[in-house]
Amino acid sequence: MRIETCYFCSSKIYPGHGVNFVRNDCKIFKFCRGKCHKAFKRKKNPRKVGWTKAHRKAAGKELAIDPSFEFEKRRNVPIKYSRETWQKALEAIKKVTEIKERRQNHFVMERLRKGRQIEIQMDVKDVQRNMSLIRSPAAGLKERRAKEAAEEAALMEEDLPEEKITYVDARELEKKLEEGMGIDDLEMLEA
Amino acid sequence: MGMVQKRKKMHYGDTHLQRRWRVRNRRRDLDQIDDDLRTRSGELINQNVDLDKPGFAQFYCVHCAKYFIDDTAMQAHFRTKVHKRRLKALETEPYSIEESERAAGKGSFQKAKKRVMETQPTKDEVIAGKRIKVEEKAEAMAEEPSTSKATPRKKPEKMET
Repeated sequence: MRIETCYFCSSKIYPGHGVNFVRNDCKIFKFCRGKCHKAFKRKKNPRKVGWTKAHRKAAGKELAIDPSFEFEKRRNVPIKYSRETWQKALEAIKKVTEIKERRQNHFVMERLRKGRQIEIQMDVKDVQRNMSLIRSPAAGLKERRAKEAAEEAALMEEDLPEEKITYVDARELEKKLEEGMGIDDLEMLEA
Repeated sequence: MGMVQKRKKMHYGDTHLQRRWRVRNRRRDLDQIDDDLRTRSGELINQNVDLDKPGFAQFYCVHCAKYFIDDTAMQAHFRTKVHKRRLKALETEPYSIEESERAAGKGSFQKAKKRVMETQPTKDEVIAGKRIKVEEKAEAMAEEPSTSKATPRKKPEKMET
């Protein structure tokens, strides 16, 4: 008795379960249940159907490449029965499955950790953007305005009256100077 | 009032699809077609006269596994969406029983490779010795067109700003 794998979802098929389909080129397709058989009849691509193992591995959701997968494999090489190898294999299977599970779980956790980091970043951004919901922008507005007013008043006192800049034609200025008018007089003229 | 007066549906209305999905109407699968492309594309394009087949089996599209009645029909088919969609589907390696086992954890699961797919050569070219080649797509080749497409789209944005 052998536990087969489903063609579509790659799950185990225990004896007495599922359907076999033999194509006219003698290839045997094994299905674990009607759902998988139906999907095959509809020519669905297992890589594109979310609930299959092929999709999860192709999309990088599960550990796909690892030496721990190399133990259980179809080898098509007959091995002569010996009690010793049988016993050793049994022990090895236990160890290998333990290591495999640990690695698979580790891979998934690493993958999820990245998502959590992004979540934290998004939270920080969200808070910064919606700060007004936490602390009203009007909080302490009166005090701030009073402070600003005081500062402005202080500045006004410090400020000297601005000097007025007047543009005069250089030749006219020379003429006027020659005529004997002082700079003070000029200013009077402009005004 | 205001309630939906709807007939209770007794079936999904996919009878025509159900007929297509019956085993007796089964067409060639993608992995079989892939095998055809690799091993016997020449034979299939240049077939012997078979009076039972449409067009006496002289006009066969290997990618779609379909016979046509004459050359114009076949050339028209090459321009259709159905054919282009099939080429696209064949670009990735088809799913196989071995892959289903690898997905189950019996051996490492490699990602499906991309290949170059082009419409088949004409009959004369096949007689002259040309065959369909299934070659893997070089990654550099695949990346270049995507970048060259992306840059002209970006340029006008820069001009505006």
